[in-house]
Amino acid sequence: MKSRKKIIITSAVCIGIAALAYFAWLFPFYEFSVNDYETSIEKLMSEDYLKTLVPLFIIIALSAAGIILAVFVRKQLVRTDSHRSEFAYARTGRAIGKAPEQKPALFMVVRWIAMIVFFFMLIWGGLIFGLKMSSVSIPVLSCPWNTEQMTESSCYYISHLNELFELPIQNILIFFGSTIGFTLLLGRAICGFICPMGLIQDIMDKIRQKTKTEGIKMNDKMYEALTPVKWFILLIFVGLCFIGGNFCNFCPAVAVSPILAGMSTSLYVSGFLMVLVLMGGFFKRRAFCTICPLGTVMGMLHKYSLFRIKKDCQSCTECGACYEACPMGIKIIYTEREKADVTHANCIMCGECVRCCPEDKALSVTFAGKSLYKSSRKKIMSGYEPEKCGRDKK
Amino acid sequence: MTVKSKADTLKERQDRRFINKETHTAAKYLRRLEELSNAPDGIEQFYQVLKNIYVEMGHTETGNQKTVGTYCVMTPPELIYAAGAVPVKLCSGNYTAFSVGDSVAPRDACPLVKAVAGFKQTGLMPVYEDCSMMIVPITCDCKKKIAGMLSENCNVTTLHIPASRNDEDIEEFTEQLYQLMEKLEKATGSRITFESLSEGFRKVGYAQYELSEFIRLKKQIPYLIRGSHAMAIMNAAAYMPADMWGKALHKVNAALRKNIAENKTVTTKKLPRILLTGSPIVFPNIKIPLLIEETGGIVAADETCMGERGMWDPAVITDYSFDGMIRALANRAVRPCPCPTFADNSQRIYRLKQLIEENQIQGVIYHVLRGCLVYDFEYRRIEYELGKLGIPVIRLESDYNEEDIEQLRIRIEAFIELIKLKQTPEKRTTVRRDF
Repeated sequence: MKSRKKIIITSAVCIGIAALAYFAWLFPFYEFSVNDYETSIEKLMSEDYLKTLVPLFIIIALSAAGIILAVFVRKQLVRTDSHRSEFAYARTGRAIGKAPEQKPALFMVVRWIAMIVFFFMLIWGGLIFGLKMSSVSIPVLSCPWNTEQMTESSCYYISHLNELFELPIQNILIFFGSTIGFTLLLGRAICGFICPMGLIQDIMDKIRQKTKTEGIKMNDKMYEALTPVKWFILLIFVGLCFIGGNFCNFCPAVAVSPILAGMSTSLYVSGFLMVLVLMGGFFKRRAFCTICPLGTVMGMLHKYSLFRIKKDCQSCTECGACYEACPMGIKIIYTEREKADVTHANCIMCGECVRCCPEDKALSVTFAGKSLYKSSRKKIMSGYEPEKCGRDKK
Repeated sequence: MTVKSKADTLKERQDRRFINKETHTAAKYLRRLEELSNAPDGIEQFYQVLKNIYVEMGHTETGNQKTVGTYCVMTPPELIYAAGAVPVKLCSGNYTAFSVGDSVAPRDACPLVKAVAGFKQTGLMPVYEDCSMMIVPITCDCKKKIAGMLSENCNVTTLHIPASRNDEDIEEFTEQLYQLMEKLEKATGSRITFESLSEGFRKVGYAQYELSEFIRLKKQIPYLIRGSHAMAIMNAAAYMPADMWGKALHKVNAALRKNIAENKTVTTKKLPRILLTGSPIVFPNIKIPLLIEETGGIVAADETCMGERGMWDPAVITDYSFDGMIRALANRAVRPCPCPTFADNSQRIYRLKQLIEENQIQGVIYHVLRGCLVYDFEYRRIEYELGKLGIPVIRLESDYNEEDIEQLRIRIEAFIELIKLKQTPEKRTTVRRDF
């Protein structure tokens, strides 16, 4: 009975998404009178740029309003909850004080710098440095409508396969060569290090953690329920072009890159979805990544990529901190007890599991066999050093 | 009237005898600990605490704060500190209380629970009597019934421990922690806030910080510290506020580091390295580690809940919010815990294997308290798994009295001799001194 209910809900959601994607152009979020794909550095400095940014401001305002509303509603819910109402003041009030935090790891700093640098490169890189690499395709969700970005994004031709095969043969080969090459070289580290959508969601998560707002804790059942949806979105992503739809009207990434690059782009469902992505990213870290179709494509080849998560199964105490920390909800990372390689198709190489692992060398991020980042007890406990706890060392 | 006064004097005499015997045994075991050679500097503070609790029958040093009695490792001490109280671990190893409890609890109950029942029956132990609340995680049937028994005189909260470690179980345990917090607030009268919870994390975290360093030093081969001394340090943690314990341990760590620099180890000889695992070993019932070290072995590591295991796993905050911190506590209490109360406890075997590798263990002593079924159940599997590694395992069943000491000594001695025979004999250049 339960499983039947689950199937009905899942198929209803899938059909809803499909309909929304197919008729995306019927739901305008913000329409410019003329879509202008011309941009230059001068335009970025002028007042016209502000005009193109209007939809982005609307999105930010709507998501901020949505987040505040959601927090407010939850506050009311918690107050009426029989068990947790006692702690409504602690859970929903303004939290003062600072929780112990470990020192930032080099890997994390590098990751943040990489994300920020690539964010700039992918959006304004072409304007500043010229379009030298524009024939190279990286499988990253940085919208190719932004014609001035540093490199091409694979997402356009994967979602418009009919157009791909009309291209000259060398272009097809370059497309496949670079896409598969990057996937094999970096794997889903692209999601964790390069993707601008990832940076946006990580920033939302940082805002939440800094304001100490509670998130939504996902469990394995919820991730399981999302899996068919994820594959269905991939199906739409690849197949929509053949039945006359355009995935770009549906894709939330359209709302970021072209607009920031100074192109006035009309937004359809993607604008609404971007609001949801921002809100989702606020309450659950990297919420969109769990259903990202491009990520799913990369995940299929991820098995052969050079970035790996390695586990020393003997050192593991199965404390589950890695699972708690994982934004993608990968459970095998803590249940695995035999294989040394625990890289999962969903892993985005954010290194969060390694950061939260309290056992020495139990988890590590490796690149081509070389260890980049190892877990360490000392790092985990660095937030509790005597000086930090306000106790003198002697 | 005369009858009543006679009864009074009888009770008084019984009490006097109880205190006399209790302090006597505790003092004896402390003395035996002190007699073991090569203790690191700074260990006296821990002896002092044990002496204060068991010999002088004093109170824990908590300042004006209330104390909350806890039983198993699943009780998160962070919450208790957050509520402005100090946790005291009440699992008991007392022989005198055991003999009193023998008549209160059923014959087949484990001695640990009998000892607790004995303390409750006599009402003489200040650590027990001071508690404004007790938290009893239900890890076995004995704990369940003792919770009921204790609730006659004290405010007792039970924590249901799930049988498995799935996501739903963690969620359920989190829910329980919220209920526990509510009761803690009522008992102590102060509120748990984000700030006080962070402070609780800092207190326990500091103790764990020093403990990590201590265990890192303890792993050094040749050994810097004896297992019995380490056991005394870990046992003292039960009766000290975490930050005080951390500070005291800091001094021991400094002394151990100094010993490394001076190349001063416990012994220059190759002693058989023993891993002690199984039922909890609580002061003053430390006859087994003492016997191992007195008969020429060394307790290189232990996997017992009053030992290293109890505080080893830190609560890792992955989400900086109030709920995130409570989840971290629930996660820490359930997932890494190798307590045999869980249906599938294969992670204990991995833990043992890790300890064996890190400490180059040569033999495992599996300690079972009489009537401790859950640990006894796991013995067969562990013997089988360790047998595959070629590590000899011996099962020692003991009770809370001194009658079996000679029998235990013979078995431990034989076990250690067996390991020594397997060892390649070391070259001796000096005259053999007695151990």
